[in-house]
Amino acid sequence: MPLALRELQAAFAVHVVGGERADLAGAVMGDSMSADARLRIYRHHVAYSLGSALAATFGTVHVLVGEAFLRRLVQSFIGQGLPVQPVLTEYGADFPAFVAGYEPAASLPYLADIARLDWALNVAFHSPAGRRLAAADLAAIAPERLPSLSLAVPEGATLIGSRYPLDRIWNASQPGAPADTVDLGQGRADLLVLRRSGDAAFIVLAVGEAAFVAALIDGKSLEGAAEQASHADPSFDLSTAFARLLSLEAFAALQQGAEGEG
Amino acid sequence: MTTTRIAIASALAAALLAPMAAQAQGSMEKCYGVVKAGKNDCQTATSSCAGTSKKDAQADAWISVPKGACEKIVGGKLTAS
Amino acid sequence: MRPAAGIGLRSPHLAEIGRDRPATGFLEIHAENHLGGSPARQAIERLRENYDFSVHAVGLSLGSVDGLDETHLGRVVELVKRLKPALVSDHLSWSVHGGRYFNDLLPLPYTEEALDVVVRNLDRLQEALGRQVSIENPSCYLGFAQSTLTEPEFLAELVRRSGCGLLLDLNNIVVTAHNLRLDPRDWLKALPGEAITEYHLAGHAVNDCDGEPILIDDHGSRVGDQVWALFGDALRRYGPRPTLVEWDTDIPALPVLLDEATRAERMIQQVRADAARAA
Repeated sequence: MPLALRELQAAFAVHVVGGERADLAGAVMGDSMSADARLRIYRHHVAYSLGSALAATFGTVHVLVGEAFLRRLVQSFIGQGLPVQPVLTEYGADFPAFVAGYEPAASLPYLADIARLDWALNVAFHSPAGRRLAAADLAAIAPERLPSLSLAVPEGATLIGSRYPLDRIWNASQPGAPADTVDLGQGRADLLVLRRSGDAAFIVLAVGEAAFVAALIDGKSLEGAAEQASHADPSFDLSTAFARLLSLEAFAALQQGAEGEG
Repeated sequence: MTTTRIAIASALAAALLAPMAAQAQGSMEKCYGVVKAGKNDCQTATSSCAGTSKKDAQADAWISVPKGACEKIVGGKLTAS
Repeated sequence: MRPAAGIGLRSPHLAEIGRDRPATGFLEIHAENHLGGSPARQAIERLRENYDFSVHAVGLSLGSVDGLDETHLGRVVELVKRLKPALVSDHLSWSVHGGRYFNDLLPLPYTEEALDVVVRNLDRLQEALGRQVSIENPSCYLGFAQSTLTEPEFLAELVRRSGCGLLLDLNNIVVTAHNLRLDPRDWLKALPGEAITEYHLAGHAVNDCDGEPILIDDHGSRVGDQVWALFGDALRRYGPRPTLVEWDTDIPALPVLLDEATRAERMIQQVRADAARAA
């Protein structure tokens, strides 16, 4: 009795992720090359191609841990969750959390944060460029109304805070990086990851700037964000920080009606 | 407007007049360009009938230790064993 | 679209093609690489001024018993409506089960039941796009005992029932025929030739499987001699069509890929010249 197509696909689905389905081999024609051997080609391909996609998305993790370790790490991850849609650049949102709990990588406590950075860069890269806010766009607004303005970061942008110097670790992992070591004792990093016209990039933020951007992402006005930033860093200089963020095109252009009152 | 609010308004207004190019220079890490846009291509290079089962992946997870650029990241690091 | 030879547009070549705009018959992209808003997608939209496009999907899973993923379908439709390509295609295979994707072109048994499933899915796809879609013969590493039709018979039935086109991949014929002990020339003869809208050419690898050679469709080298020969047979039997050279693994410098397309173009011209002489 041949397997109905639904059953056949269910059995194949179990097989390709490493499970056993004895009835499947019976449905496959074998000759001098066995049905099992033929089936394993598909299993191998699924593991290899999904692993390669993750290795590409998490390129900095890859460089940090090396090929052999990465392959095992991604295989373990794939075993926990296959993609739920076919676009491979959108596969791996849960990978940073998986890395955080991956015991064999416990000696690299910063690795999960690097995975978050890789993911954020990937998301930013595949997001629409969108129009950015320029100083000139705000020049038309009366100065006394600026404090009540709410600003958004560009679509696909992510603010990442880490206890570890992620920017330095990232730089040390780039092709051709000098052999200099990075000292984890250099402390925390706050990065704003965003799409630029031809690529994705990150901005290293000072503590006050990070609090400022985080407050804006939370929906606070510029005034509320400035207060939060001064609280995080008493030496926070609003004018300098705001000028820097504007020049880096860190905000999305104003939507119609985005100027609040109050 | 409160005094604080006036100060914030003038700080924000002053920011709009700052020279732009000088601010941005060296501030960003260029991360990647269009070369990275092709994950759904048909890469099947090493497909063979070598076994890859769940058991394989679990059994050898502990065999390897990270061996890459992580060797350059020092200090504050837990020891592996 | 003119029956000329084109190339698969891969991201390592995108900047160079955008800058130099080299002459080639057309460009084909993988739909799933360009559904977002990346700079690559913008670059492709700019290339439409200079090139005809083909959109080749790899993730619609036309053989899935549960039907198409409407969310993914919607994204592909949006891309196709935007790019207005001359050709749209996907594969005779399936790649998702229970909402989990395998990123592989998995094989179907060639039965009446599977035929009904693929026809239903193709109908939905062609309806959503408002246009004909071509379906590509897959590279196979196994066959199912329950199959009652050969692969060409199955494809011919698909064409008859759904009105789809055929994307004939000559490399996949060579790979499948070797792996399943078939004669590639017999395979080629059994098709409704008028339905063919495009040819694909690519290289394959020879790997070892328990001591026996198995051909793997890796798109990682120049087109092999056997594939060129079968392409010549197809051109003589069915006539020229837009012909794509694909290269996905160990992607070479652009001139190498263009050189392969030029070889295909010369074969197309030769067949056309021979036909004109005979007439």
